[in-house]
Amino acid sequence: MSAQPPVADFKNNAPEALANNMVQTAMRRAGGGFVTKRAVARDALPEFDALRDAARDLKNHTLANLDIYLERYEQAAIAAGAQVHWAETVEDAQKIVLEICERVKRGPKAVVNKGKSMISEEIDLNHALEAAGHRVIETDLGEYIIQLRGERPSHIIAPAVHVTREQVESDFRASHPQLDPSRRFPDAASLVREARSVLRGKYFEADVGITGANMLIAETGQSVIVTNEGNGDLTQSLARAHVVVASLEKIVPTLDDASTVLRLLARSATGQKSSVYTTFSSGPRRAQDPDGPEEYHVVLLDNGRSNMLGSEFEDMLRCIRCGACMNHCPVYQSVGGHAYGAVYVGPMGAVLTPSLRGVERGGQLPNASTFCGRCEAVCPMRIPLPKMMRHWREREFERGLTPGAARYGLKFWAFFARRPWLYRACASLGMRLLAWRAGSRGRFAWLPLGSGWTKHRDFPAPQGATFQSQWAAAKKKQGRAAGGGSGEGADLGGDGGGSGD
Amino acid sequence: MSARDRILDRVRRQAGGSSARALQGVAQRLQSLEQTSPVPAIASTAGPDARLRQFIAEAEAVQASTTVLPDFSSLPAALAEELRRRNLGPTFRMGTEAAFTELDWTSLDLSQGKGRLREPATLSRAFLGVAEVGAVVLLSGPDNPVTLSFLGETHFIVLRASEIEPGFEGAWARLRSSGRESRTVNFIAGPSRTGDIELTLELGAHGPIALHIFVVQD
Repeated sequence: MSAQPPVADFKNNAPEALANNMVQTAMRRAGGGFVTKRAVARDALPEFDALRDAARDLKNHTLANLDIYLERYEQAAIAAGAQVHWAETVEDAQKIVLEICERVKRGPKAVVNKGKSMISEEIDLNHALEAAGHRVIETDLGEYIIQLRGERPSHIIAPAVHVTREQVESDFRASHPQLDPSRRFPDAASLVREARSVLRGKYFEADVGITGANMLIAETGQSVIVTNEGNGDLTQSLARAHVVVASLEKIVPTLDDASTVLRLLARSATGQKSSVYTTFSSGPRRAQDPDGPEEYHVVLLDNGRSNMLGSEFEDMLRCIRCGACMNHCPVYQSVGGHAYGAVYVGPMGAVLTPSLRGVERGGQLPNASTFCGRCEAVCPMRIPLPKMMRHWREREFERGLTPGAARYGLKFWAFFARRPWLYRACASLGMRLLAWRAGSRGRFAWLPLGSGWTKHRDFPAPQGATFQSQWAAAKKKQGRAAGGGSGEGADLGGDGGGSGD
Repeated sequence: MSARDRILDRVRRQAGGSSARALQGVAQRLQSLEQTSPVPAIASTAGPDARLRQFIAEAEAVQASTTVLPDFSSLPAALAEELRRRNLGPTFRMGTEAAFTELDWTSLDLSQGKGRLREPATLSRAFLGVAEVGAVVLLSGPDNPVTLSFLGETHFIVLRASEIEPGFEGAWARLRSSGRESRTVNFIAGPSRTGDIELTLELGAHGPIALHIFVVQD
């Protein structure tokens, strides 16, 4: 029961998400938890911003020499007993994993356990495995919940953030018919306990355990996973074969470089100083080992990344998938991850999706931004996300993929923008008209052509003069005051100022 | 041309080709193994006492519990006491760790080997500790099977105070000089947890529900 591949139709999905009470309830409950926790963790580490610079530099160095590092990584991994596979496309990656499953299965079909992996979502692995008749079990609690629901992750580190506790309870009742139907779930803990006991036995049945990799280390040939639940470790240690699916840009040169990324990753993602489990794996179990997998495979996925190198989207390859950009994104926080109709969501998804799937299929997503810039401000790898979204918008426009209404709207605006005197005259007239129509309330609950905005919040009526005329007035005044009270201009604009009553 | 060669070829073209200088630069970085990033003050605590205090504070901040023991020989009694205090039976499982096998365990029912489906209590010897994050580092092998760290409902870990490194950098140095090539190197900071249901933190996800660290004074 795997979910259908998502469709990146943000324009139609977003209004549905805004109207969906369950999504809205879940997003509200999850709320700003991540934002506060990250801020506390950042404030507790004075070197945080210096580490961001260092992480950016080390990743840039790695990307500039990626061919050499990939070869060094491969050498080290093979020396430790790994089997390294290279996949150019989604289909190639699926085929490699399917062949491993066919070979190591003990029954008629393989039992495949999975830890959380965004790359496995990118290559639509569950779908491919199930189509071939294999049994796939997601073991991360959030992934398990959405697998039961036949859905896709809505957040890269909290995949079931859109699901309420009540929904999880009814999913568990439906999916665990072997358990006492009169059992009670008074709290989230009781749901966690049930998932733990149901999944515990499954680890021992697995032929193949699939995990992602937060990093691949060129120095040692190790793959690294960072988790809190311990499912990724049970998945890889109890299966016959451990298969790591990872993309090319996950390489870091050395263990010391890994620590720089680790110091930023958990703090940016969940506000933790460190995740509970950071596991470095290399090769299969050693000759004397009583446990661990008999085979260790790494599938290195390209899927468009080599073409991002050297382009204006290369910076995106520094991404460590912490999710800070979506946690701080007002658009993501309003509509949730499913509205993006893509594997990668939020600001990082808006940039990465068109790179991986083409501007025709993912080009709408870079428009799902207010360009407020919070994503770039919090990105631990200092990725200029708004700039890259703008690049995509330009490409979308150049290729005529922008919808007609938007194109005409832009042309209309450009006509005025090129004639400043006309722009100012019309803006001033329009504002007075709006202020008059709004009356004493100062807000609009409905506007012609503006229902997309006013359905979910009021539109503030303009108060008095335009920004430009206020700016000019303030400049004049400032000049007169000769150096006094220079901060006044900063309060211009915005709708938080005094109301018109 | 294989997929590998085609991918590397594309990467090489975009990265500007692997010049002799680039090759040398990479080789040097992989050989010198120096930390090129800033090392935070919290990863540079000097003095064994301060490091021990930081390690304990950080471990307890992530819901691990700790006991400081005067020496290894007091471990069996301390473990028996912890099991009793937690209403667990006087039984546990461990690997072939030499530091454990030479101790007198007559008061407890011990078994040896990898982890099984039901494993109420397990005991492991850590390779080192990291004060920066309150984590212990375990190396997989017959002496400390990796599955004991994840299948034990309560996981007991033993560490010497002198094995506590201030930060990650010290851990890498010790790992490199140890010559150990274990399949897994496991950093563990506290018992397992999840926030996957409405971002409510719950301890005891898939790994241990409780984690207790015995720090042995040298």
